[in-house]
Amino acid sequence: MHATICDMITDLVQNAIEARATEITLEVKETKTNLKFVIADNGKGMSAVVLEKAKDPYYTDGQKHRYRKVGLGLPFLFQTAEMTGGKAAITSKEGEGTTVTFNVDPTNVDLPAFGNFTTAAVALMSYEFEGNLSIERSAQNKSYSVNKNELVEALGNLNELESLTLLKQFIASQEEDLEAL
Amino acid sequence: MAKMTLEELRALRDAKKNEMTQRDTNEKSAQIIIGMGTCGIAAGAKEAFDAFLDELDSHSVTNTKITQTGCMGLCFSEPTVEVAVPGMPRVIYGNVDDAVARRIVKEHLIGKSLVSDHIFDKPAVDIIK
Repeated sequence: MHATICDMITDLVQNAIEARATEITLEVKETKTNLKFVIADNGKGMSAVVLEKAKDPYYTDGQKHRYRKVGLGLPFLFQTAEMTGGKAAITSKEGEGTTVTFNVDPTNVDLPAFGNFTTAAVALMSYEFEGNLSIERSAQNKSYSVNKNELVEALGNLNELESLTLLKQFIASQEEDLEAL
Repeated sequence: MAKMTLEELRALRDAKKNEMTQRDTNEKSAQIIIGMGTCGIAAGAKEAFDAFLDELDSHSVTNTKITQTGCMGLCFSEPTVEVAVPGMPRVIYGNVDDAVARRIVKEHLIGKSLVSDHIFDKPAVDIIK
């Protein structure tokens, strides 16, 4: 299982990138009684058969690493849900895309720490792929949204150190605002 | 810090750009590639990513790119990071935690000497064709 919820989110958004999605939305909503994240992409999707297999840690499509026999991203998600009384779901349609949903009681003692969302967001926004990533984030009654296209428009190449430093400041200021009373 | 708007972000970027154009731009940029597969993330690649950003910024290092990639096939030594500094051999470092990331910035990127105790010479054989 991943050490933090944010690690799990990063991993799952990367699945969407690797599925060659051009439009990805990540929604992360926290309330006192529920923590929810949804990752929706328009990537290559999976057939019902492959989708079922993808939940098995000993399944991988073998395309990335020919001799590897494991694929742990999705199993980590379902394991976390199972251990914490949460609900994880994945729906997918070949050629149309995939949506992963996770809901859990944030006070459950077995739930991994939430982690650092700023770093996760900066890493994901600067991950090179041809497409847009939108983040919809809220905690209690505050929210913000940001997307990759507008960040690239404001900052230029997001992989340059100067852009990354500013991007981190930007996301950190949004996250701080969420936590402020 | 007050909640920043996109306009403020743009203004900050423009200010930095002016600074950047005043420098010699002939120099090729250094590149740091961080492995962010399931294995890398689980081993703390995001902490390394954060440490690189922080250390580079605090030493006012410029002309550097940080990119990410999936699993490099060295899952046992994650987080793995590839560093390419112009004029130096490309190397892959393993077990890069916060402290090692900061050492790589100070010794490799700034000091131009390799951090020998964390080097792997090349990606795993089943990854390169």
